[in-house]
Amino acid sequence: MPNVFAPSVFFIVFREVLEAVIIVSVLLSFLKQCLGQPDQDQKIYKRLVRQVWFGSLSGVFVCLVIGGAFIGVFYGVGKDIWSKSEDLWEGIFYLIATVIITVMGLALLRVNKMKEKWRLKIAHALVDKAKHHNAKSWLGAWGKRNALFILPFITTMREGVEAVVFVGGVSLGLPATEFPLPVITGLLAGLLIGYLIYRGGNVLSIQLFLIASTSVLYLIAAGMFSKAIWSLQFHTFAQKVGSDVAEQGSGPGSYDITQSVWHVNCCSPQTDHGWDVFYALLGWQNSATYGSVISYNVYWIGIMVAVSCLLYEERTGSLPLKTQTLATLAKVPGLKGWAKKKQAISAEERAGIVRQGQAHLAGGVFHDSDGSLSEDNRQLAK
Amino acid sequence: MWRLGLSLLAAMVLLFFGYSTAKTVTYDFNVTWVTANPDGLTERKVIGVNNQWPLPIIEVEKGDQLVVNMHNGLGDKNASIHFHGMYQNGTNEMDGPIMVTQCPIPPGADFVYNFTVNQNGTYWYHCHADYCYPDGYRQALIVHDTESYFYDQYEEEFTVTMSDWYHELVEGIAPDFLSVYNPTGAEPIPQAFLFNDTLNSNIMVKPNTTYLIRLINIGAFVAQYFYIEDHTFTIVEIDGIYTEPTEADTLYLAIAQRYAILLTTKNTTDKNYPIVTVADSALLDGIPSDLKLNQTNWLQYNADADHPQAVMTVDDATQLNPFDDITLIPHDRMPLLPEPDYTLELSVNMENLGNGAGYALLNNISYTAAKVPTIFSVMSSGDLSTNSLVYGEFTHPLVLEHNDVVQVILNNNDGGSHPFHLHGHAFQVIDRAPAYGATFYDYADGDPVPYDEANHTAFPQYPARRDTFVLPPQGYFVIRFVADNPGVWMFHCHIDWHLSQGLGLLFIEAPTQMQERLNIPQNHYDVCKAGGIPTEGNAAANTEDYLDLKGQNKQVGWLPAGFTARGIVALVFSCVSAVVGIIFLVVYGLSDLKFKGEGADGAAETSEVAGKGAGKTTVAEASRESSNEEIK
Repeated sequence: MPNVFAPSVFFIVFREVLEAVIIVSVLLSFLKQCLGQPDQDQKIYKRLVRQVWFGSLSGVFVCLVIGGAFIGVFYGVGKDIWSKSEDLWEGIFYLIATVIITVMGLALLRVNKMKEKWRLKIAHALVDKAKHHNAKSWLGAWGKRNALFILPFITTMREGVEAVVFVGGVSLGLPATEFPLPVITGLLAGLLIGYLIYRGGNVLSIQLFLIASTSVLYLIAAGMFSKAIWSLQFHTFAQKVGSDVAEQGSGPGSYDITQSVWHVNCCSPQTDHGWDVFYALLGWQNSATYGSVISYNVYWIGIMVAVSCLLYEERTGSLPLKTQTLATLAKVPGLKGWAKKKQAISAEERAGIVRQGQAHLAGGVFHDSDGSLSEDNRQLAK
Repeated sequence: MWRLGLSLLAAMVLLFFGYSTAKTVTYDFNVTWVTANPDGLTERKVIGVNNQWPLPIIEVEKGDQLVVNMHNGLGDKNASIHFHGMYQNGTNEMDGPIMVTQCPIPPGADFVYNFTVNQNGTYWYHCHADYCYPDGYRQALIVHDTESYFYDQYEEEFTVTMSDWYHELVEGIAPDFLSVYNPTGAEPIPQAFLFNDTLNSNIMVKPNTTYLIRLINIGAFVAQYFYIEDHTFTIVEIDGIYTEPTEADTLYLAIAQRYAILLTTKNTTDKNYPIVTVADSALLDGIPSDLKLNQTNWLQYNADADHPQAVMTVDDATQLNPFDDITLIPHDRMPLLPEPDYTLELSVNMENLGNGAGYALLNNISYTAAKVPTIFSVMSSGDLSTNSLVYGEFTHPLVLEHNDVVQVILNNNDGGSHPFHLHGHAFQVIDRAPAYGATFYDYADGDPVPYDEANHTAFPQYPARRDTFVLPPQGYFVIRFVADNPGVWMFHCHIDWHLSQGLGLLFIEAPTQMQERLNIPQNHYDVCKAGGIPTEGNAAANTEDYLDLKGQNKQVGWLPAGFTARGIVALVFSCVSAVVGIIFLVVYGLSDLKFKGEGADGAAETSEVAGKGAGKTTVAEASRESSNEEIK
């Protein structure tokens, strides 16, 4: 029973799939708004919808290939390297996983914001395409004609590769058997929730589901963070003890008493079945150290602070000192572009970008290839 | 003044006239640091006597008065001498273990050991202070006996010592041994094994001649097997007790054990024969690739002939089949002692105590020396001396009545074997399981097997007697002795590492008789004074109330069991912060619903929620119609 389901992998896959579904749905709704009206040419609309689907699916396909290769190489080459000093690697991998989950996890609670972000990004991309009037080059012309293939292709592929990297990151220390189940279930759950969002199901229950899964995700991450510190501490202990440490099982001598906060001679997540579930979900340790307890609490305090900041920013529009900091950073040569991007874009600017994007979608994209359409589009753009 | 060099008194002269009347044999020992490189691998600091190492063999005859004038010239280390196997009847204060029968002899101090040797055979002497004798402070002590039953059967005698050897001072190794980072209590692995404090040596023999060979394991940790290729021999003595001559080919010498054997050489001089000593690798936690477990020295018949290396017939030392010492019959045929007046059942456990280091426990007590050497507590406690409370809890004192027959049942809950030594006595060995040989490790896996009074093998009619006996892994042994030797006698595992872990206890034997008979010389009190150690009072050095042990030395506390207060606090705190953290997430998540309206041309909008949209922008307004239509 154990070692077949890694919850962290499930949530990563779920989250990435959800994001990809949102992208596709944003694109489709763009199309529908611009070209799918009853008075417009259904043939072209359908062709473009097909293009979107084709693009997304090929993106998924490509990323599956990349991911497969990635994981294959990883397990083929890597395993031997870190199996030797397991605790050290486990500690490092858990740290990586914690960072990944922490950074991406909160976005799950902002699906609406995520949609908004993608609407903006897609519109941006469309505008950029149109601006590069490189129609003379063959590639440019092709790109223009197939924008609705390229865009979802690239974005789904990006999300997919991201998922692969993240899944790889959180599961570096896990045996390969823990993969398939959470990947498949995460995929299905992501598709289902994505579809429900697209169809506009019960928003409240969807949101509750997302809250619940985010909470579980952060419970896992807090446990992982604590476990990472624990592993690193245990690694140094085991280094000093030598091979004997494994002889001790969970009894006396299996832990560093000078660091111990509690130790029960049972319930070891490594050796006693059942407790590994608590371990995976809550970071349970039968032998807690000062490091593991403090890091667990510090992690949660960090989450509380981060959430408070985000809420404050949303309510007041900005964090104290944020604009000032960004303004200063914008003057630093290397960071200029990055800081500019981060500087808050006003709602009106945002709307403008989206409008432009729609206009380009309707008019700009097809103006060389399909003259008859451009008129309609221009009309709509007004 | 102290003179360097060994000086034998004029009594020595008597020897040449063949008198066996008692004489006084005096050794002056100036104990100093010297360097030595006995294994040819590393030169190291060792404890020498009169600036020499190996140390002089002490040789006396039965009935002699032995005087050792010891001066501690080490400068940085306490020392003492224990004459291993000497009964010290009436001279308990000369026995040597520090904080038991004397104070440690501090640097610069002098100490006189003076006692009558009323026994004979093969013994040894060694330092009995903390972390001392493995640094080289150990050597044979031979009591010659012209009246032994085999005296006229041999032409010449040799002494063979075998020993494990470390390249570092014990003081340097000890902190890593008794450490939280050594939870299994794995004993330090020696770097070499010495034979007569050297390697690759020869014992010159003539053909067709009988020799007496005295074998002593003077090491600190590792037992050794001994055999001579193509030879058998006759055991005539163990630990100073003459035995009926018994044929054997392989011996197992645990630390501190001795055998005397008669060896008759072959009738040819074509070949030299390897004398093989094999370290008992079962005791070692790991075997480094550069550690040579078996040593070859030679029974040299012919110096010109080849000196072949031993051919190992087994892969592993434990496959050797040594002679089982419990089957020996003492030459005096002393019968089995009667049913005991006092039976003591003890069990050996190795456990981690509160500081994480591994300790050894006898009935849950790890021997911890008292503040006053126990002999002085006996002498100063008057009528209370028969009350074991006087001697503290952690010296594990057991008060024996004079002339009681004492039976000790020792059960081993540990997977290692332990050579237990009793000071002041040779005891009858009446039962042991598993027996030496192929079955010796039978109990090592699985549960320990304790002695069962209702079901044991018949005790021998004439049990073998010795002073050091091996306790098998997870097995047991039973011994008997008569408490006829008033004194404080230590009973301990002779593996020096285990003694430092506390694997020992004290018999306070006939304390009333001790007070009557002992006469401790002033020199002993002077040494205590020099070292600042009290010579009066109970184990806690309390001279007012001998039953008040406040302030006594204690063993390290037990490991905390499971959840202590701090564990519960930590767990509660962790749970609270997790719950509060999740509440934060829920609040944050629910607040997302408020942003529904923003950018409402998204496909996910449903009309009813869209209406609640908070930040309405122009675009949102403009596109609402279409989005409403979109969703059917």
